[in-house]
Amino acid sequence: MATQRVLPQSKETLLQNYNKRLKDDIRSILDNFTEIIKTAKIEDETQVSRPTQAEQDHYEMHVRAANIVRAGESLMKLVSDLKQFLILNDFPSVNDAISLQNQQLRSLQEECDKKLTSLRDEIAIDLYELEEEYYSSSYSLWDSTDLPLCEAYRRQDSWASPGSSCSSTPGDREDVDGPPSQETNPQHHLNGHSAASIEKP
Amino acid sequence: MANERLRALEDVEKEIAMILQCAGNIVLELSKDKHNASLLDRQLVQFQSSVNRVENELSGQIRYLTQVATGQPHEGSTYSARKDCQMALNRAEYAKVKLGELGRTCEVMLEQPQT
Repeated sequence: MATQRVLPQSKETLLQNYNKRLKDDIRSILDNFTEIIKTAKIEDETQVSRPTQAEQDHYEMHVRAANIVRAGESLMKLVSDLKQFLILNDFPSVNDAISLQNQQLRSLQEECDKKLTSLRDEIAIDLYELEEEYYSSSYSLWDSTDLPLCEAYRRQDSWASPGSSCSSTPGDREDVDGPPSQETNPQHHLNGHSAASIEKP
Repeated sequence: MANERLRALEDVEKEIAMILQCAGNIVLELSKDKHNASLLDRQLVQFQSSVNRVENELSGQIRYLTQVATGQPHEGSTYSARKDCQMALNRAEYAKVKLGELGRTCEVMLEQPQT
C-alpha cells in the first residue's frame, strides 16, 4: 500500500497558498450568500410549475448554505494554520519571548542565591554559639581523654621518633601506654597478614 | 508582541462565526411573511463589515509573515537559564531540609530531661 508523502514546500509557496485560500473562501461566502438572496426573490412567471420551482430553489439554497458553512470552516482552518506558522516562524516575537523568559529565570535565580547567602551569614553566627554551647556542655561526646585530631597526629609523629619514648616521665606513662597500644595495633594488623603467611607451610 | 498577533487571530475566528450567524439571521428573517427591515439592514451591515475585517486582518497577517519568515528553524532556547534556576531552587530546598534537621535536633535536646 503506497503511503502518502507530504512534500516540503518553500515558505513563499505556503504563504501564497494561504493568500489563495483566503481569497477563495471569502469569494465563496459572498457569492453563495448573494445567490441565496437572489433565489429568495419570488417570480411570477416560471418555466416549470411552482412546486417544482420551489423544490429546485429549496435544494439550491441548501447547497449554497452548505457552501457558505464549508467556506467558514476552511477559513477557521486557515486561521489555525496561520497561528501555527506564526508561532514557528515569527522570529522577532520568538526572540522576545525567549529573552523575557531568560530574564525572569535569571532574576529568580539571583534572588534565590541572594537570600541563601544572607541566610548563610545569619546561620553562621547562630551556629558558632550553638557549637560553643554544645562542646562545653555535658551532652558532648567529646571527653578529656580524647584528643583533637590535630593533637593526635602531632603526638603520633613524636612517638614515631625513638628519642621520645626514653625521655618519657612516669606521669606520662599512662598517656604513653595508651598510644603505644595504638601503635602496636596497627603493627598487629600489619603483621597479622605476614604472620599468617609465615604460619602456613 | 506574539500574544497580540495570536489574540488578533482569535478575534478573527470570532468574526468568522459572526459572519455565519449574520447570514443565518438574514435568511431566517427573509423566510418570514413580514420582514423587519431595520433588523435586516443591521444584520447586513454587520455581515459586510465582518467580512471586510476578516479579509483585511488575515491579509495583513500573511503580509507580515511574508516579510518576517525565513526558511530556517529557530535555534534559541531557555534551557540554560531554566537549568540554573532549577539548581538554585534545589539549593534552597536542600538548605531548608538541613535547617529542618537542625531545628529538630535542637528540640530533641531541649526536651530531654537534664541529667
